[in-house]
Amino acid sequence: MTTVEKIRRINMNRVSPELYEAMVALSNAAAKDIDPDLAELIKIRASQMNHCAFCLDMHTADARKRGISEQKLTLLAAWEEAGDIFSEQEQAALALTEEMTDLTHRHVSDAVYARAAAAFSERELGQVIAMALAINAWNRIGVTTRLSPPHR
Amino acid sequence: MTQTLEAKTTVDRIKIYKTSPELHDAMMALSNAAAKDVDAELGELIKIRASQINHCAFCLDMHTRDARKHGVSDQKLDVLAAWEEAGGLFTERERAALALTEAITELGDGHIPDEVYKRAAEVFSERELGQVIALAVTINAWNRINVTIRLQPSTR
Repeated sequence: MTTVEKIRRINMNRVSPELYEAMVALSNAAAKDIDPDLAELIKIRASQMNHCAFCLDMHTADARKRGISEQKLTLLAAWEEAGDIFSEQEQAALALTEEMTDLTHRHVSDAVYARAAAAFSERELGQVIAMALAINAWNRIGVTTRLSPPHR
Repeated sequence: MTQTLEAKTTVDRIKIYKTSPELHDAMMALSNAAAKDVDAELGELIKIRASQINHCAFCLDMHTRDARKHGVSDQKLDVLAAWEEAGGLFTERERAALALTEAITELGDGHIPDEVYKRAAEVFSERELGQVIALAVTINAWNRINVTIRLQPSTR
């Protein structure tokens, strides 16, 4: 799991600008009709699982700007153990995000799907799914091209 | 394990392309962007391998048929899940792209190792490499949608 910077990786914005534009459009489509705070939690949790440093740096900063508490950010990786710090909607969305992100190990279970379907309208649920897969796509680009967060 | 891998449908899942039509449009645009400047046969191999790893039945059904239409041999399709053990059946470009696709798909298990990246960077131009990555990212997104909404292939 150690990463040593030895090889310079491509800049996707430069070599595949159409992809970058399409990704921004995907993000915009996913951002509709979803609570922005919830969206940040989804993005951070997926980025933790996918080990995208750039994405974590960006979205924790965005989350703080939105006023998400330090406690929530600190506990997010262990949200299931955090009692009622997270709302039922947040918990349902995070469980769904985790299963969607972990696709290689399992399917999206009926129990997790049903929990999310009970907590959200169909439209909201569709947008939660859209948000989870959009950040998964960004994570893959960020990790593959080894985007590094800026020092602050 | 058997239980979690069993795709038993007891809960109706949403028709996401109806409830989130913008998502469908955005995904189509993403697919079109990723399809440029990539050999179509190679594109199908990338899509099938990611769909195998992500267990997307609908995607496998669709892309194995597309691959056959593009002239990809049955032998390649049969052996794709074990391409590393298949000797010279796959070209070096195909092998480099498949190794990179597997790393991109299995992101939860690690990073993209330098040797996997380097192997791909050696056989593809920067533009081609960008498009191989784009294809792997895009099929991963389709896999996530279709597994989540449990889209199933029609019986033929």
